[in-house]
Amino acid sequence: MLRMDGFDFVRASDPAEAVALWHAQPDSAYIAGGTDLLPNLKHRIVQARTLVGVGDALAKGWARVGEAYEIGAGTTLAALAAMGELPLLATAAGAVAGPQLRNMGTIGGNVLLDTRCLFYNQTEFWRKSLGYCLKAEGTWCHVVGGPKTCVATQSSDTVPALMALGARIRLLGPGGARELDLNDLFKFNGMDHLKLSAGELLTHVIVPVPAAEARGSYQKLRTRGAIDFPQLGVAIWGRLQGVGPTAQIDALRVVIGAVSPQPKALAGLDPFVGGPLSDEVVSAIAEQAFKSTRPQGSVHGDSAWRRHMARVFVRRGLLALREGAQPAPVDGAPAAA
Amino acid sequence: MTQPAAPTSAPARRPQRVLTLQVNGEPVEVAAPSTWTLLEVLRYKLGLTGTKQGCDKGDCGACTVLVDGQPVLSCCTLAATVGDKAVTTIEGLPIRVGRAFDIAGALQCGFCQPGMICSAHALLSHKPDPSVSEIRAALSGNLCRCTGYTKIIEAVQLAAKDLGGHADLSTSELRTPVAYGPPAEGFLVLGARGRKADSIHKATGAAIYADDISLPRMAHGRILRSPHPHARIRRIDTRAAAALPGVFAVMTGAELPETFCVIPWTPDENVLCIDKVRYVGDGVAAVAAIDEETAIRACDLIEVDYEILPPVLDLDAAEAATALVHERDWKGRPRVDNLCKDVDLAFGEVEPALEGAAVTHGATYFYEGNTHAAIEPHCAVARWSPDGKLTVWSSTQVPHYLHRELGKVLGVPTSEIRVIQPALGGAFGGKSEPFDLEFCAAWLSRKAGRPVKILYTREEVFYSHRGRHPMEMKLRMGAAADGRLLAVDNDIRIDGGGYHSFGMITSYYAGQILTGPVRMDHYHFRARRFYTNKPCCGPKRGHGSVQPRFAFECGLDELAEKLGMDPMDIRRKNAMGSGERTVNGQLVPSTGLAACLDAVEKASGWKGRWGQQPRGRGLGVACSMYISGTAYPIYPNEMPQSGVQLLADRSGRITVLCGASDIGQGSDGMLAYVVAEETGILPDDVAVHSADTELTPVDLGAYSSRVTYMVGTAAQEAARAMGAEMRAALAAHWEIPADQVGKSLGFWFDKAESGRQMDTKAVLQLAEARAGTPLAASGGYRTRKVGGAYRGGTIGASPAYSTTAHVVEVEVDVETGIVKVLNVWVAHDCGRAINPVLVEGQVEGSVYMGYAEALMEAQTFDERGLHSGPNLLDYRIPTSIETPAIFTKIIETIDPGGPYGAKEAGEGPLHPIIPAIANAIWDAVGVRLRTLPFTPDRVLAAIRAQGAAAAPA
Repeated sequence: MLRMDGFDFVRASDPAEAVALWHAQPDSAYIAGGTDLLPNLKHRIVQARTLVGVGDALAKGWARVGEAYEIGAGTTLAALAAMGELPLLATAAGAVAGPQLRNMGTIGGNVLLDTRCLFYNQTEFWRKSLGYCLKAEGTWCHVVGGPKTCVATQSSDTVPALMALGARIRLLGPGGARELDLNDLFKFNGMDHLKLSAGELLTHVIVPVPAAEARGSYQKLRTRGAIDFPQLGVAIWGRLQGVGPTAQIDALRVVIGAVSPQPKALAGLDPFVGGPLSDEVVSAIAEQAFKSTRPQGSVHGDSAWRRHMARVFVRRGLLALREGAQPAPVDGAPAAA
Repeated sequence: MTQPAAPTSAPARRPQRVLTLQVNGEPVEVAAPSTWTLLEVLRYKLGLTGTKQGCDKGDCGACTVLVDGQPVLSCCTLAATVGDKAVTTIEGLPIRVGRAFDIAGALQCGFCQPGMICSAHALLSHKPDPSVSEIRAALSGNLCRCTGYTKIIEAVQLAAKDLGGHADLSTSELRTPVAYGPPAEGFLVLGARGRKADSIHKATGAAIYADDISLPRMAHGRILRSPHPHARIRRIDTRAAAALPGVFAVMTGAELPETFCVIPWTPDENVLCIDKVRYVGDGVAAVAAIDEETAIRACDLIEVDYEILPPVLDLDAAEAATALVHERDWKGRPRVDNLCKDVDLAFGEVEPALEGAAVTHGATYFYEGNTHAAIEPHCAVARWSPDGKLTVWSSTQVPHYLHRELGKVLGVPTSEIRVIQPALGGAFGGKSEPFDLEFCAAWLSRKAGRPVKILYTREEVFYSHRGRHPMEMKLRMGAAADGRLLAVDNDIRIDGGGYHSFGMITSYYAGQILTGPVRMDHYHFRARRFYTNKPCCGPKRGHGSVQPRFAFECGLDELAEKLGMDPMDIRRKNAMGSGERTVNGQLVPSTGLAACLDAVEKASGWKGRWGQQPRGRGLGVACSMYISGTAYPIYPNEMPQSGVQLLADRSGRITVLCGASDIGQGSDGMLAYVVAEETGILPDDVAVHSADTELTPVDLGAYSSRVTYMVGTAAQEAARAMGAEMRAALAAHWEIPADQVGKSLGFWFDKAESGRQMDTKAVLQLAEARAGTPLAASGGYRTRKVGGAYRGGTIGASPAYSTTAHVVEVEVDVETGIVKVLNVWVAHDCGRAINPVLVEGQVEGSVYMGYAEALMEAQTFDERGLHSGPNLLDYRIPTSIETPAIFTKIIETIDPGGPYGAKEAGEGPLHPIIPAIANAIWDAVGVRLRTLPFTPDRVLAAIRAQGAAAAPA
């Protein structure tokens, strides 16, 4: 069996203590659900010396505060999957991995999920045979074939949904708390894809209360109906008036994840706002998604096909959106609630 | 015990922390390293070994336990984070859900089931009456490799009924012979739907698998593996490893230079590499230490100086001999090529027949390699005692062959060695030869003076492999205008990997088993197996013949298309009959092809649906034939291939001793049925002890679908002998003729005098008294002469053949290329179904495994020879969600030679699903797929190419 070695564990009882404990030791790492961290420790791609347990320190559940829901970072994905107030987020949370992992994994951990790559999320033995990679111990990215850019993929299901919902996150560091628009959290660097300061702890995810007429969907591309990370994730959120091809677009966001280190909102949608979500507009946006999406080979599956699927998902998502419906999942998973 | 070899320094003790946990309702205090997971603490500190470990890192769900009632993965839960939450393991769950699994026949190897039952229990706790899709979703994080989930879903439904008070499971006590259905006409037990012999133990976490064994002073071993696909070993320096505190012994290949192979003619493997490494993952050195962490560190300290050699990574390079994987053959003669085996057999005149055919078809097919992925990783525990006796507990499906090879390689008489197969967590052919860990555990035990356990990581399981060979098949075939199949020619190249394994057999099976149940007039095949610098391929369920069957059944559909025939009809037209000989001279005593085709045609609504559904929806058919055991043992000898001994007890119990390996397929239960049938005792009163070379007579092992036919025959002979003694004793006692004595389940009776009867226990006592010795009986399966009269004519020859037909319904999304298998209808002719539940389980599991090979599984390697993802996240095996609904119909074409007419069921039903899916895709969207697996990008590319071809120039 893969065994872990060489670290100690300390438990924090509140966020401030967690931050203090993190800074008190070199090479610390926070652990809540541990579903991302433990495999990485077993693979020796993370070599922490102290794990700071934040499972008891982080808030669980959510509350409406003014015009937003404040979701405690310790809320499990299983709990979020049943969150009636935010069905788009619930769908995405329910698409993560399998049931056991959703009972363990937290929203905080899923937002900050380490980037993933076929050449990185492997055992020490395998990576040594490879000659390592740019992201860990090596000098070469085997995906792009170069020494400069790491394209390990941001593989969270909830992040595209949260970005589409206009979410922010609250972080706690030694200097106090700050808030950050989720769009500003990520950068195109698989080795270091989060714009965080060392030891900052994510304490809350803050989601604006959607307007009554808001609709959304999350589509996940994967081989199996469970367990798999996304090969592509498309979240669509919009406010429309009416249904069908004449429905008028008041607001529209399309976020594409799991294709690169940085999940991105599809740009160039402003000209369509105020007009109908007609067949032509649907096709135009889908084509835009195809053109602007460059799936990296860091993830399982043919990249050209994944790019094609971005177009398909956006088209199907928009067609469903204007009907107030949900697109049928392609992975056989039970249809979203 | 002997004094252990003096450790080089004092064992290191890892820093421990004291945890207070709530486990199964009790507070426990346990000291464990901070780095340990909940799984490690439960299994290795608290002895709660019902919770299993399958994948190392959260991908398979075998380690599922409940924390505060919710299923979690204990292998990815740091024990220190659990705190005072309530932990419930399989041992702490109420019995009722597990018992429903037992009764529904949901447990085969049982290894995934403790976790599965935890998930099912949690589901039923908050949803008492779940729908099928809710059950599939709730279990989707628990991978099962045996059942195709079919009976698991039924078990959860049954448990829901039971917990809801709507089912009578004879709940008063487990001892009750629950849920035995009515037997087949004229039998006491045979044909009754019944429980497996061992499944309640598996359902409660009580069954002991290899890694559940812990012996006093046991050390933990680890094998250092090559990071290079092809390299010469210049030097190995183990000094730093040996000096590490906590290390007891280190070994290298030079200490055990004797070569071995499961096929005695082709020994080309060493326990650990001596001169060269031949794939990434080939073993180089091994260590035994106080714990696994220390053994891992010690391996890190071993320095190996390699001279890198150019690797041979595909068939073209292998054939061109760009480098030699083996410079010498097993007899020490220099090699000039990488050809491991070349079989070239012709029956009739293929070329003239093809020339005279009304229609012909020719195409190249490629079947990608894939692997067994049993949820239990290989594990061996060895104890070399001071008296020189060696005991090895191993997750093997061939204890007898392991026994022989251990003796050969270790240089010890086999009379000094005992091999015991504990409960086995899935095999599928992946545990059917000796592996490095068994030899290393034994040798390290001798050197360390302690018992040694070696448990493969999941990654090592992928490297050990012995799975499905990649095959390239150039197939040509031709038919007459009326559909008669005139000729088949198949030119096959087989990518064998680094060693021989069963390679000679694979090469023959690739051609020899294709000749039925569809008749052909002329046949030629050439099969060449090449060495490459990749993990060694071997026997996976349907050994050697699944790949050519795919090509052939696809080709048959193309011929039918050209002839304008219904695909059902071309198969009917050429269907062999019972007692017929194949073109290559194999006698097929019984075959139910026509009945199988009728059954699936009817069940699927083929007529009116095939060829008539909207684009994107399609049906496909395929059929196959498979052996019920190989005609001859792997090493020539005149002794029985299978032996069974029975010992009767005055208590009314009969003990069965048999070397057969129950690998989850239920052979122990089959033995119990046969003994019950012949003696009148209840199957639950038969105690089966199997696969222990010191206690049980030899059976050659669980491979080539031989167990029911051969072990069943041996058991039948033994049980009939015991039954005859019982009958004679009772006849003498009642002073009536023996043929006036009848037997029923639980008692014997006088056929002539109503009401005169005696229970079986009393009959056994009577017989023992009459014999004057303990009542015992023996039976054997003796090799029968079968096969063609030509070189190789006995390979692929079997005393009986099963037949299968499938119809598959698919939905193809023409925009995405995604193929969904909606329904699978299977009819399988297994001869007599001794226990239909077990037969269905084998059929459903075969369908599942073939479905996976068709759509998603591929064991591939990059240009460095690196496996593309040796773990259960990157190597995707289907979950309960996408696995299709499977409808099984058992066809009983009673075989004249099989025990009660029985034939095999475990491998044949895998074959047709793959071509049936391909043929259904054609029906749905009109494209022919000839490369596996049918990934969506490939399907979409084919659909687009079709569109481009159809477009006006």
